[in-house]
Amino acid sequence: MRELTEEEAKVLFSKLANYTGRSLNNLIAPPEGEQTERHVFRLQGSRVYYLPLRLANYATSIPRANLLSAGTIIGKFTKTMKFRLHITALSVIAPHSRYKVWIKANGEMPFLYGGNVLKAHAARWSEDCPEHSGVVVYSMNDEPLGFGVTARSTAEAKKLEPTGIVVFRQADAGEYLREEDSLFTA
Amino acid sequence: MAPTRGSSKGASSGGASKGPSKGPKGSKPSGMSSSSRVSKPSSKKNVKRPPPQEVKSKARTAPENLARKKKRVYTEAELDLPKLNQITPVGVVKPKGKKKGKVFVDDQEGMMTILAMVNAEKEGQIESKMMKARQLEEIREAKKAEAEARMKEKKFKLDAVKDSIRNKKKNKGGNDRAAESSPASSKSGSKSAKGKRKSVSFA
Repeated sequence: MRELTEEEAKVLFSKLANYTGRSLNNLIAPPEGEQTERHVFRLQGSRVYYLPLRLANYATSIPRANLLSAGTIIGKFTKTMKFRLHITALSVIAPHSRYKVWIKANGEMPFLYGGNVLKAHAARWSEDCPEHSGVVVYSMNDEPLGFGVTARSTAEAKKLEPTGIVVFRQADAGEYLREEDSLFTA
Repeated sequence: MAPTRGSSKGASSGGASKGPSKGPKGSKPSGMSSSSRVSKPSSKKNVKRPPPQEVKSKARTAPENLARKKKRVYTEAELDLPKLNQITPVGVVKPKGKKKGKVFVDDQEGMMTILAMVNAEKEGQIESKMMKARQLEEIREAKKAEAEARMKEKKFKLDAVKDSIRNKKKNKGGNDRAAESSPASSKSGSKSAKGKRKSVSFA
């Protein structure tokens, strides 16, 4: 388990910034009013973890080969040095999300089974959202279900027919079951 | 070489008899010896010299000799080779004297600067996307408005043509009525025209 290099940090943050706004700063430096302990990003294998510094320091006492996981998995670096966010990062992204889409109850299941979000299923979405930007998908009672990329801008989506795709799925909470075998192991 | 040299300067080894060569005391000559010998300039006589030291040549296997002398290393720029003829391909040249390995960022400030840079970049991208979308939307609206205007114009023209045709028909009808009021001959003519109308009758 090691710290990120400058390049890796840049790739990771640019990915996270797709989904979050300026408040992403709070991940690194918590706001002054809050007395929370410092959290850090650590790389183990190709996976990036987000964990309290205290835990990261403990983790140094475990050999690399034996260390399976520590903290929250944010995602992994591909061999071409791109970053892929995992569904586990949802808890980190959701509180700071920039654009949001709420889906109706009848659209929850199709989304959780790995489908894209159709216009008929989208109840409401953030205004002024450009196309191909990251959004967090919420259920109607404000529970984050996953995240994706907008297929159309808000203005265009309004004109779309009900069967048209509004959000391309990137990750959904259903992956905890579908990808159970490979989600936490390298 | 070394032993012969040593023997010639026997003063150091066995020269108890020859006083003058050694030490400050020996440098003061007794009267006899000085007169008999060829006189030398006094300045040279009085010069104090350090005791001669034996110089030994070092064996080839000595560590100093084994260690290769540093040759001057030419950089590729100095050699003035054509670019394609170099050992390292163009673009793979690594900066010399730079520290090996990765440079980690773990301090908050470093992370924050990277994050700020990334955020600024992202916001710029989003802004440009929005601008582009807005412009496209404007263009679309303008096109739509133009198309609507064209359609209206077309419809208006069509209506005008329809009206004109209707008016013509009306006028024709009016003329007929006017003709009806005119002399009987014309009346019969009109009647004959009406009589020509086809009719279907079933027996």
